Amino acid sequence: MRDAYIVQAVRTPGCRRGKGAFAQTRPEDLLVTALQGLMERAKVDKKVVEDVMVGCAFPEAEQGLNVGRIAALMAGFPIDTCGATVNRFCSSGLEAIAIQAMRIQAGWADVAIGGGLESMSIVPMGGNMPRPHPYWAKQKPDVYISMGITAENVANRYKITRQQQDEFGYHSQMKAAEAQKNKMFDEIVPTKAVKYVPQPDGTLKKEEFIQDFDDGVRPDTTLEGLAKLKPAFAAFGSVTAGNSSQTTDGAAAALIMSEEACRKYGVKPLVKIVAYTVAGVEPDEMGVGPAYAIPKLLKMTGKDMKDIGLFEINEAFASQAIYCAQQLGIADPKEWTVDSKTRRINVNGGAIALGHPLGCTGAKLAAQLVNMMVKKGVKYGVESMCIGGGMGAAALFELVEKW
Amino acid sequence: MVRRIEKAAVIGSGIMGGGIAALLADAGVETLLFDIVPFNLTDEEKKDPKARYRIVQAGFDNMMKAKPALIMDKSNASRISLCNLEDDFDKLKDCDLIVEVVVENLKIKQELFQKIDKIRKPTAVVTSNTSGLPLKEMSKNCSDAFKEHFMGTHFFNPVRYMHLLELIPGEKTKKEVLDFIAEFGEKRLGKGIVWAKDTPNFIGNRIGVHEIMTVMQLLESEGITIDEVDAIMGPAMGRPKTAVFKLSDMVGLDTIHHLAENSYELLKNDERRDVYKVPAWFNKMIENKWLGDKTKQGFYKKEKTADGKKLSLVLDPAKLEYREAAKPEFESVSAAKKLPTAAEKIKAIVWGNDKAAKFAWKLSALGAIYAANRIPEIADSIVEIDNAMTWGYNLELGPFQAWDAIGVKESVERMEKEGMKVPENVKKMLASGATSFYKVENGKEFYYDLVNGGYKEIKKSAAAISLFNLKGAGKEIKKNESVSLIDLGDDVFCIEFHTKMNAINGQIVDFIADATDFVLKNGAGIVIGNQAGGMPGAFSAGGDLAYMGSLAKEKKWSEIDKFIANVHAGLMKAKYAPIPVVAAPYGMTLGGGCEVCLNADRIVAHSELYMGLVEIGAGLLPGGLGMLNLWKKYIKSVPKAAKITDLAGLFLPCFMAVAQAQVTMSAFEAQKKGFLTAKDRVVFNRDLLIGEAKKEVLRMIDEGYAPPKKEKFVVIGREAMGMVEAEMLNMRIGMYITPHMEFIAKKIAFVMSGGDVPSGTEITEEQWMKQEREAFVELWQTENTQKMAAHILQTGKPLFI
Repeated sequence: MRDAYIVQAVRTPGCRRGKGAFAQTRPEDLLVTALQGLMERAKVDKKVVEDVMVGCAFPEAEQGLNVGRIAALMAGFPIDTCGATVNRFCSSGLEAIAIQAMRIQAGWADVAIGGGLESMSIVPMGGNMPRPHPYWAKQKPDVYISMGITAENVANRYKITRQQQDEFGYHSQMKAAEAQKNKMFDEIVPTKAVKYVPQPDGTLKKEEFIQDFDDGVRPDTTLEGLAKLKPAFAAFGSVTAGNSSQTTDGAAAALIMSEEACRKYGVKPLVKIVAYTVAGVEPDEMGVGPAYAIPKLLKMTGKDMKDIGLFEINEAFASQAIYCAQQLGIADPKEWTVDSKTRRINVNGGAIALGHPLGCTGAKLAAQLVNMMVKKGVKYGVESMCIGGGMGAAALFELVEKW
Repeated sequence: MVRRIEKAAVIGSGIMGGGIAALLADAGVETLLFDIVPFNLTDEEKKDPKARYRIVQAGFDNMMKAKPALIMDKSNASRISLCNLEDDFDKLKDCDLIVEVVVENLKIKQELFQKIDKIRKPTAVVTSNTSGLPLKEMSKNCSDAFKEHFMGTHFFNPVRYMHLLELIPGEKTKKEVLDFIAEFGEKRLGKGIVWAKDTPNFIGNRIGVHEIMTVMQLLESEGITIDEVDAIMGPAMGRPKTAVFKLSDMVGLDTIHHLAENSYELLKNDERRDVYKVPAWFNKMIENKWLGDKTKQGFYKKEKTADGKKLSLVLDPAKLEYREAAKPEFESVSAAKKLPTAAEKIKAIVWGNDKAAKFAWKLSALGAIYAANRIPEIADSIVEIDNAMTWGYNLELGPFQAWDAIGVKESVERMEKEGMKVPENVKKMLASGATSFYKVENGKEFYYDLVNGGYKEIKKSAAAISLFNLKGAGKEIKKNESVSLIDLGDDVFCIEFHTKMNAINGQIVDFIADATDFVLKNGAGIVIGNQAGGMPGAFSAGGDLAYMGSLAKEKKWSEIDKFIANVHAGLMKAKYAPIPVVAAPYGMTLGGGCEVCLNADRIVAHSELYMGLVEIGAGLLPGGLGMLNLWKKYIKSVPKAAKITDLAGLFLPCFMAVAQAQVTMSAFEAQKKGFLTAKDRVVFNRDLLIGEAKKEVLRMIDEGYAPPKKEKFVVIGREAMGMVEAEMLNMRIGMYITPHMEFIAKKIAFVMSGGDVPSGTEITEEQWMKQEREAFVELWQTENTQKMAAHILQTGKPLFI
């Protein structure tokens, strides 16, 4: 089997649903920016790309009709470059990268793009027309359960307190604020966006602008402030807007090549895609997914937790992120707090601060992780997330040190 | 010349100004709300628009936040523009109506009117909402043209809810202007008009403040306490719970103090001038800033003890100290509360023997004498005074109506025996042989004219229909103890409920079907409406649960089924009959009451409409086709040419309205929720509602009325149940719903969805009715529904199980 490499990985900023910078920008346009930025940075001709696979959790309406193919053409790829859309909810972006890696490993392709896209402003979570099956919903509705309720279930079943969740949320914000200050997010492509601005005469004017930072980071977050928030999903619950991921808009993409292709086009790869796996869990506590997917991944690859230098574990909710860290034996504050220089988990903050654009997240976290592995010279990095419907996904990346 | 108010200005954005602006905006008038630029701006702030509009912005914000809401629909506030008196003064020249509501300072008002005089357009009407200053003085430096268009418009607080509007002609106001504003106030703003004279504090506050000051005097002489007074002068005397002192705390003691001082100052010839002399302890309260609710202490004060218990304290005026408030009980008061009408209650108390009775007598007697002596000084007739007190102070009976209840002859004897000076005009009335201030003859109401002697007919607005009067005139065609059919003239008949809270029972259901038959034979159209009164009153508070509860207790399920089938048949008959049926709801229009309206061909609603399908609170779902009619209103709001892609977008608001027992807080909200459609009308004046509904019937006939056609209609079907089942899991885990409520909600969803058919299927009304009936019976068959129904019957509150 051949090896597959990520030679470049980029993302747009993540911007808040409804109120953020991308709320009025078409999702395809975000993806076009990511694809074009990717190719510019990789310095590889678009025409050598055989396929673009895009993860999207709600591939309908503006994100429907196979947005993977449409955006590729919009981004200036030739008609020879194919396109597809893939959905595994929150791991969709990583799924797309994994599928392309497997194609290359199998020898079915040499150059491909895996990416992700979600405009939660434009296509709402749950989709425009959610239609659970009436009889299955009556029999066993958990597969349709609200994500917030799964987070409450995790908190209740595994005794994750409100205070623990708020602390975790606070550190996510602080890490993200520090990273923004220190300009750590090199993987961001400045992104063209539009807004429709009311004019004094009552008309709306379309204005174009460039957005180059994640707009949900709140450096002024305090523990006291977080403690005051009301539960968002359950009358007497502990999960709040402050300890949950932000719903955001964004796109991300990674260019994946075989070794032969890298040599042919004179490109030095960044990381090797070692393995990807998924694990099934109870739908009503889907947040525990990484606690099952990561051990499965490590076993598969013969690695140990201590071999891993960096983790990107998606912070869908603080309750599940804490629980997973506990199960993985990395819950010690030195692994995740802003004051710890040796932290390994979500070193630049996670989705509580930076947002979780569902189908984009897998590709977005890959871009963040690869960037930090290269920056810090970390040998092994793991990306993982929980998935609605009751799953976890995890992938192992290995830094290419010698080429 | 045709007068029209396209644009109005309200100058002063305090609680009254804000309330008037909100009412104008609700009534569809573009309104400029003015206030001053703050005095204390820094040089930098003087250039900052935000700072310059700070006061009017705050006034507007307070209005929008007010509870109960001052504006009927927040979106109506887009008709209000905020202005300041320096930068925007010129905008007044475009206004057709300018209402002044600035601080009660004569000089400030005079200067303002002089400025307005220079720029107002020649037809603009300028009014003052002063509560006591003489109009004559205010406009004294203005031109004659101004004076011809200048008058008083005195609203009561809260403007939206208080029916009274006192109109005060200025010395030179043109009659045509007075008539125009009276019509505008009555029809557009929905107010009850009372004609007052340019005398201090006009009518309502003159009588009202006299009473408060009299009570203050009696506190000492009668040795009665503040909480005792409020225990007597509340509902037992046909008055609001706030009685005397709680009301004063709400109004603001500084306002009352000002009114009293103003009265003492200006009423030099008043026979009871001394009562307006403010007692020293009251002066001290004002000094201490104990101004009532707004400063959190007045005659009452709320405190929390160390262990978090709420304490209600009341003032001891002699010591100027607070003590724990008691719940005083009096034999006469307790006995009176059991009587059905205000007249009987008042009579019972006043002729009682205890301390409360003695106090109530004295206060009533002094008040009655004072009121009689005010004619013709403040008003030409007793009707104006009684209307002012019932509409402006929410008394069930005004002073003369109460005097009739007490008995004029007997009370005059007692007054004389106790050394009170009985007014000459009342003595004359008794001497003429007339023994009451009011009488009804042949369905017409008469009042005694204290100025000229003799009875005169009470003149009501031409548009107002009084069911009471029609009944008296023999226009009641059919009746039983629950409901009547009244001939409104022009072949239009009114079905009038008259049960307690106008709850709908079996008698009413049967009657509607019979009445429809009668009108089909003998008439042209039907109005369903009543005039039960009260604030906000109840068109119908729902269905009568006791009847079905007793059937359920005996497990007579087939009888419940039959009853609902009968209800459905009656509703269908009325709906498809070739005569228009117009419902005229007001106030509480809940459950079955709401369903009756939704089934009508058209609705003419009062703006104060508290409408909703609230059956879930009683453990039930609406069994009178309310859901069917609501759903049909939704789908019919989309033209057939447009394909409805997302039926859930229509289903969810309908389902939530019923599952959450949502109640609208105004007719505008009822429009938003789809209870009212574009064809339905909103009427601001409840007194005109039946008349307007009758007009609507006649208009529909004139336009060639044809009944709706019977046809299949689209439903969302089984897909709704998928969504609802899934969401109920979240609500259950989130502890937002109790088990039986969840069970009911799912039944509601099933019926509202049209049943287990694919989304987009067209079904018949028969299928819907069958499913609704079955679900209704299934609910009654559960013990929990029986418990919930019994609980709400006993306590009036829902049981959450």
